[in-house]
Amino acid sequence: MENLGALSILLGLCLAIYAVIGSLIGAWKQNAFLIKSAERAVIAVWGLVTLASGILVHAMITGDFRLVYVAQYSNLAMPTIYKFAAWWGGQAGSLLLWNFLLSCYALVVVLQNRNKHRQIMPYVTAVLMCTQVLFLVLICFAANPFEVLTVGKGITAVPDGKGLNPLLQYWTMVIHPPILYLGYVGFVVPFAFALGSLITRQPGDNWIHTTRRWAIVTWLFQTAGITLGAGWSYAVLGWGGYWVWDPVENASFLPWLTSTAFLHSVMMQEKKGMMKVWNMVLVSATFFLSIFGTFLTRSGIVSSVHAFAQSPVGPYFLTFLALGIVITTWLILDRLEFLKSETPLESVISRESSFLFNNLILLASCFAILWGTMFPVISEAVTGEKISVGAPFFNRVNIPIGLFLMFLTGVGPLIAWRRSTAESLKRAFLNSAIGGLLTIGVLMAFGMRHPYALMSFGLCMFVTLTISSEFYKGSRSISNKDGIGMFPAMIELTHRNTRRYGGYLIHMGVVLCFIGFSGAAFNLDLTQEIGEGQTMKIGRYILAMKNITMGENDNYVWRKAMVEATVDGKPYAIMEPEGRVYKAQNEPYHSVGIVRRLNEDLYINFANTSVDGKKAVIQAYVFPLVSWIWIGFWVMFAGTIVCLIPSKVRLEYARTQVVGMVEKNAIPVEK
Amino acid sequence: MRFQWKSSLLLIVAALCMAQESMVPPAVRRVGERLSCLCGVCKNTVGTCDMMGCHYTAPKREQIASMQAKGESDDAIVAAIVKEQGNQALSEPPQQGFNAMALLMPFVMIAIGLSAIYWFIQRNRRQPVTVDALHPEVLDRFHAAAEKEFEKLD
Repeated sequence: MENLGALSILLGLCLAIYAVIGSLIGAWKQNAFLIKSAERAVIAVWGLVTLASGILVHAMITGDFRLVYVAQYSNLAMPTIYKFAAWWGGQAGSLLLWNFLLSCYALVVVLQNRNKHRQIMPYVTAVLMCTQVLFLVLICFAANPFEVLTVGKGITAVPDGKGLNPLLQYWTMVIHPPILYLGYVGFVVPFAFALGSLITRQPGDNWIHTTRRWAIVTWLFQTAGITLGAGWSYAVLGWGGYWVWDPVENASFLPWLTSTAFLHSVMMQEKKGMMKVWNMVLVSATFFLSIFGTFLTRSGIVSSVHAFAQSPVGPYFLTFLALGIVITTWLILDRLEFLKSETPLESVISRESSFLFNNLILLASCFAILWGTMFPVISEAVTGEKISVGAPFFNRVNIPIGLFLMFLTGVGPLIAWRRSTAESLKRAFLNSAIGGLLTIGVLMAFGMRHPYALMSFGLCMFVTLTISSEFYKGSRSISNKDGIGMFPAMIELTHRNTRRYGGYLIHMGVVLCFIGFSGAAFNLDLTQEIGEGQTMKIGRYILAMKNITMGENDNYVWRKAMVEATVDGKPYAIMEPEGRVYKAQNEPYHSVGIVRRLNEDLYINFANTSVDGKKAVIQAYVFPLVSWIWIGFWVMFAGTIVCLIPSKVRLEYARTQVVGMVEKNAIPVEK
Repeated sequence: MRFQWKSSLLLIVAALCMAQESMVPPAVRRVGERLSCLCGVCKNTVGTCDMMGCHYTAPKREQIASMQAKGESDDAIVAAIVKEQGNQALSEPPQQGFNAMALLMPFVMIAIGLSAIYWFIQRNRRQPVTVDALHPEVLDRFHAAAEKEFEKLD
C-alpha cells in the first residue's frame, strides 16, 4: 500500500507539472484541447492526492507501523479520532493535507469554471498547479509520509507507535489544523484569478466579482482556524493563555490581516473603480504570507512550541517565494495602465479616505508582527547576538494600533462616500461619542484605572452605538413604511443589503472580541498546594479540595482533583482538573477545569502533586470577560454567513462623477 | 502493570515538582515582565510564565526576590540578569544600536504609510469645478433620477 501511496504522489507531481506546462502552452498557442487536457490533469491530481491521503489515513487507523510516519504519530491505544488527526500531527502528513486541500480547491475551481472565464482559466490552472507542484515536491523529496522503517535492505516494523503528542489529543485539534489550512490554502484562488487577470490584461473587475465569495469564505476559515487555535491554547496549555505572540500564531495572523485589508479595499474598486493596484498587491501579499507562514512553521527558522521539527523544506519555500514575488511584482508594474483609478478622490473626510486609513492600520499591524517575529533572526544576522522579542513588544506596538483600528471600525461605515461635512459627522457620531466617553467616566468612577482597558471599553461602546444606530434607523424606516415590527424590519433591512449589514455584524463580533481581550488586564492567578479538606482563595472564590483520585486507561494514567468552588459561602461549582501522563510518550498533560460565565471564567489546573502524593498543586485563575472572545467569533461567523447571502435588492454602484458645484444660495441662470 | 504506571507517574511528578509555588509577588512580576523566559518552550516572560517548576523561570524569580530583598533597583536586577544571559534575557530588544530598530520600524512604516496616503490624496484629489449654476431643467432631471433610485430601494 505504501508503494501505491508513494507512486500516487509521484504521479500527481508529474501530472501537476504537465497541467502547468499544458495550460500555459495551450493559452499561448490558443489550443483548446491542450487547455482542456491540463484541466483534466488537475482532476487526476486530485484523485491521486486523495488516494495517497486515504492510504496514509488507513495506515494510521490500522496501525501499519512499518511506516516511519505512522510509528511516530500513531499508536494502538489512541482513540480512532486522534489516529485520524495524526494525519496532520507531523510535518509530512500535514504537507499531504495541504496538498489534499489544495487539490480539492483546484478541482472545484476547474469544475466551476469549465464554461466560464475561458480566457483567464489556463493561467488560473497554471498558478494553482504551480503551488501544487511546490507541495508535491516537498512530500516527494523532503518529507515523504510513505517512508518505511528499514533494517539493512529489509522493511521492518515496530510493535507500537509513539502516538500523537498528548497536547494535540484534544477535540479542537481534530478540526483546528484542517480549518486553518482551508484558510491558508484558499488564498491561492483569489491570487490565481488576480494573476490570470493581470496576465490577460483584463481591464475590468471580473476577477474581483469571481473571487469575492472565495475570499470571504477563505477569510472565514482563517478566522475560525485562528479562534480554534486560541481556544485550544486556552483549554489545553494549562495557564489560560489564548494568544502569546508565538511565531506560529503570528504566521497565521499575517495573511488574516492582509486579507481583511483586501476585503475592505476591494469595495473601493467595486464601487469607485479605485485602488486597483493596491488590491493586486494585497491579494498577492495575502497569498505569499500564507506560503511564508507555512515556511515559518516548518523550516525551524524561528523557535516555537507549535512548529514542526527542523527540516530541509526551507530552501524549496524560499525559492518559490522569491520567484513568485519577482514575477508578480513584474506583472503588476508591467500592467499598471490597466490598473488606473477610474474616479478621483473628492475629499479627505470621506468613506474612501477611511478605507485608506483602515488599510494603513491593518498593514501597519501586519508589518509590526512580521517585523517582531523575524527580528531575532535579523538582529542575530546583523549583530551576531541573540535577542528575544516577546509578548511585551507585540503588545506595546499592537495595542495602540488595535485601538485605533477599533476607532475606525466605528467611524468608517458612517462617513459618507465622496465627502462628508462637519455637520453630517456631528449628526452621525455625537451620541455614540458621548456614549463612549460616558462609559469611560462610569468605569473610572468604579475605580478602573487601566488606561488601555478604559480606552478599549470606551471605543467598544462607541462602535456598538454607531452600529446599533445604523440598524435602528434603517429598521425604523422600514417598520414605519411597511407597518411591520422592528425585528422583522431589521431582518428585511439586512436582507436588502447583506454585505453592508453582514459587515456591521462582523464589526460587532470584533467589538465583542475586544471586550474579551480587555478583560485580560484584570486577570488573577494563584498557585497553591492543597490537600483534602484544605482551601485556597482567589478573587471572590473559595476553592476547597474534596478528594484526589487516580486511575489509568490504555492511553494514560491520571490523577484527578475534585475541587468545590464557593462564592460567599454558597456552592458555585464542582471542578475536576486532571493531570495525566501519556504512556507511549511518557509526557504529562493537564485537563483543566473551567467554569465559563459571561463575566469571568474560573479556571483550575491540576499542575502537580506533592512528593508524598497526598496534596495537589493547584493553579487557579480568574479570567474576566474571556468568554466574549468566543461569542465574538460566533457573531463574526454569523456576519460572514450573512455577507454570503445574496442581497434582496440588487445594488448597482454607479460610478458618479462631479461635473460641477453650485454655491449654496446661487440663483440658477440661463446659459 | 498498573503498579508500574502508578509508580512511574509518581516518579515523573516528583521529578517535575520543584517547589510549592504561590502567587508571584507583584514586585517580582513587575521585574519579571521585563525578562524573557528562556526555557525554550514557551514565549512567556519570567513574570508570566506558568509552567510548573520551569527550569528557567523558577530560579530567576528567586534571584529577583533575593536581589529585591537586598534593596537592588529594578534596573540593577535586570542589568545583572542581562550580564549573565546576554540581551536575549530581555523580553523586548534593548533600545540601543541596531536593536532600537525593532520598536522604531513599525512606527516609521506608519509614518511612511501616512505620507503615502497624503501623496495618494494629493495626486488623486480632484479640485471642485465651480460653475455658474445649473439650469432648472437639468436639476429637475437629477431630482427625477434620484426619486427613481429611491423608489427602487423601497
